[in-house]
Amino acid sequence: MKAFRYTIVFGALALLLLFLLYPLSLVLDASLRVNGTGALTLGNYVQIFASKYYLNGIFNSLLAATGATVGATLIGTPLAFCLARVDVPGKTVLLTLATLPLVLPSFVAAYALVLLFGHAGVVTTGLRALGMTIGPIYGLTGITIVFFLTLYPYVLMPAVAGFRAMDISIEEAARNLGGSRLHAFRTVLLPMAMPAVLAGALLVFIEALENFGVPVVLAEDRPFLAVDIFKLFAGEADNNPAAAGALSVLLIASTAIVLLVQRRYLNKRRFATDARTAPSPLPLSPGWRAIATGFSWGIVILSLLPFIAVLFISFLSFRGPVLTWQLGLSNYSMLLEGSFRPLYNTLFVATLAAIVATVVGAPIGYVVTRHRGPLSAGLDMIGMAPFAVSGTVLGIGLIIAFNSGLLTLTGGWLILVIAYVVRKLPFCIRSSSAIVHQIEPSLEEASINLGVSPLRTFATLTVPLMASGLIGGMILVWITAASELSSTIVLYSSRWSTMTVRMYHFLEGGEGAGSASAAAAILIFFTAAPLLVIQRRLRREGATIL
Amino acid sequence: MTTIRLDSVSRTFGAVRAVDNVSATIEEGALFTLLGPSGCGKTTLLRMIAGFADVEAGRIWFDDKRIDTLPAHRRNTGMVFQNYAIFPNLSVADNVAYGLRARKIKPADIAARVDKALARVRLAGYGSRWPHQLSGGQLQRVAIARVLVIEPAVLLFDEPLSNLDAQLRTQMRVEIRQLQQALGLTTIYVTHDQEEALAISDRIAILRSGKIEQVGSPEEIYQRPRTAFVAEFLGGANMLPGIAGTFDGHRTEVASCGTTISIDGHVAKAGQKLFVSIRPEALRLANASDRPVLQAKLVLREFLGQIQRLHAALPDGTQIRVSTLGSLPVAVAAGAELAFAYDPAQIIVYPEA
Repeated sequence: MKAFRYTIVFGALALLLLFLLYPLSLVLDASLRVNGTGALTLGNYVQIFASKYYLNGIFNSLLAATGATVGATLIGTPLAFCLARVDVPGKTVLLTLATLPLVLPSFVAAYALVLLFGHAGVVTTGLRALGMTIGPIYGLTGITIVFFLTLYPYVLMPAVAGFRAMDISIEEAARNLGGSRLHAFRTVLLPMAMPAVLAGALLVFIEALENFGVPVVLAEDRPFLAVDIFKLFAGEADNNPAAAGALSVLLIASTAIVLLVQRRYLNKRRFATDARTAPSPLPLSPGWRAIATGFSWGIVILSLLPFIAVLFISFLSFRGPVLTWQLGLSNYSMLLEGSFRPLYNTLFVATLAAIVATVVGAPIGYVVTRHRGPLSAGLDMIGMAPFAVSGTVLGIGLIIAFNSGLLTLTGGWLILVIAYVVRKLPFCIRSSSAIVHQIEPSLEEASINLGVSPLRTFATLTVPLMASGLIGGMILVWITAASELSSTIVLYSSRWSTMTVRMYHFLEGGEGAGSASAAAAILIFFTAAPLLVIQRRLRREGATIL
Repeated sequence: MTTIRLDSVSRTFGAVRAVDNVSATIEEGALFTLLGPSGCGKTTLLRMIAGFADVEAGRIWFDDKRIDTLPAHRRNTGMVFQNYAIFPNLSVADNVAYGLRARKIKPADIAARVDKALARVRLAGYGSRWPHQLSGGQLQRVAIARVLVIEPAVLLFDEPLSNLDAQLRTQMRVEIRQLQQALGLTTIYVTHDQEEALAISDRIAILRSGKIEQVGSPEEIYQRPRTAFVAEFLGGANMLPGIAGTFDGHRTEVASCGTTISIDGHVAKAGQKLFVSIRPEALRLANASDRPVLQAKLVLREFLGQIQRLHAALPDGTQIRVSTLGSLPVAVAAGAELAFAYDPAQIIVYPEA
């Protein structure tokens, strides 16, 4: 058993060392050197802190992330309580739909906002015809709105689980001691759910800070950290890899700090009581119930509206950037007449990444859960680290590391798969560890006791028992890999372009609104469909997936 | 000091009548136990009194105040939950203060009352601790302090000892009983453990399928079970099917399990089917002169310290349990023929259900 454990631990560590820590250390190294000569310097950081533009970028990113966090918490927490404790009609459907914004590509939602409220947007032009104008959706406002509408499930899911995990006796004790329902909620239920809420809120902050797709669509010319890093590294006009490295280090440092705080906080406060009797729905008056229902459905529909709008618009015809009200498939034919290649690429790379991430992540999740100890704790920590690393930065690191020399990987599909596996590994570790929690250790002990080796026991008994959880994690990797833009945009090569890259180029060119909407619709289909198919399983695992 | 009166209360879950037209009066200051197998409705009945299960029909009174129409937080009951339900986000002192704060007691008074309540349950000085730092027994005491401090009209216990280990369980039940007697609080106590019920109660109600089967003091219920169910549930009496024989003016002979059992009095008409209830401790190893006796073949002997339990087969193979003192040497192996003496006055018969 020990040999098995060490194989897993050191195999995983080696993998993460080579494809995560090594590339990131090269980014750090680049940030400390003079461009071209290679001499050590702090000049890149000095340059950033002296530049109003980059300081603004950092400020904008932090502000948008903070706004997103506050917004997501403010809508996620009451929604969670409604879904956990109020008899809202269609609750299960709502819970499924509420997970969608998290896996649907967020830059598609941003793009929908442009289609609806942008300079030439449907709503904008419609209102202009009526003599009305609406405020600008570009910049901070629009970015923050898209962030909290797409990221609030990070708060919602753990909070629902938190509200549900409280044994009914806790609430009954509060009432028995003379507290009204409101009093009990304020003094006991909300404080007990708070760690889950805050843990989710910090994830929102991290995700918003490192997100590349939404600001790239909505920032226009305003500075944003994640976009600036990409432009500095890959842009033609102001190429400066060293400055990109310095900005990357700042980005990773801030997300890493938040992730550390999040884990610290979560570890210290575990209020979960084992709910032996799940709390029953609150007996609300019809009026309050109607309000809760309207609120719940309103939020979920609002967050899905951008995606629905894109789906709808993709079937309308564009004349240049201007939308006409003619139904047709012209966008799709335009998108695909070039080639089916990007679609195949997307499916191929995402599938491969999902399989590899599962094969790597499942044993890690197993060891981390079953064998407590310093080694496992370290592995758990490092396995979650990719959460803190933005896709753009990882992509840059991988390019620096594997562009030449012994191990040249860039320019093909393999580098994309590597980037996705590293980025999505936390999903697999989480879902694997969640399912291992539910498997009695005595089952394996019985198998070993009966003479089957630990390795064979793991392969023939544990893995089949884990299968249901692993498939959930695998599909989640598949979905998020298929809609990944941030690392792809750095790492793709012309033959290995994906749907997300195509969409990015259509948007960047400004003329391809029709094709972009078709690409977005295809992405929505390929991400939403598998999620809806496995929705039951995902819901059961609820918070653990996030 | 409160008298609790249950007035034909009922509650159904789907097709199941969890509590079926139950009426009872619990005298002030008494510890009244609801005892029965799982699913008998005892916890539901307790939760109806606390206000966590709706009363579908009937009324509940505390003295002359009807309380079943009040919301749970206005009933002034103090409930100790099976899992203690200590608020994990509050310190021990804040847990105990919870009900006082809900009642808007002045902060200055709260501290003193909390300290007093903690001292009462021998947890003085534990106020600043967190629940996760306490053992199961200590959590139990916090739960009790938390309800004592609000000076409730009645105390409600929902299987409070079932999460503790055996030794702590007997210790805690003594503490609970002493506290309850010292405070003179009317108490309803739910358990499925008959020994606990007998040890702690002033009166016991045996519940079966939502109905009260018998109410009485522990001695009454144990010594004079009114139904076969009570006899078998309490003390594990041997229930032997039999057919009444003739009455000889003094005793009735009942044919049962391939042998004959003598019972004092004219218990049934000849030929009537019935159940004979013999408590394990009503049988003892017979001397040569003892009459009447039951012949049985030893199957298994369990040595339990103070007593030993013998499992023996009657002539037709039916097994009976016999309790004898542990100090009594039984130097016989399984298969040995044994004779058990009994007092015909201690045998009870029940009509076939």
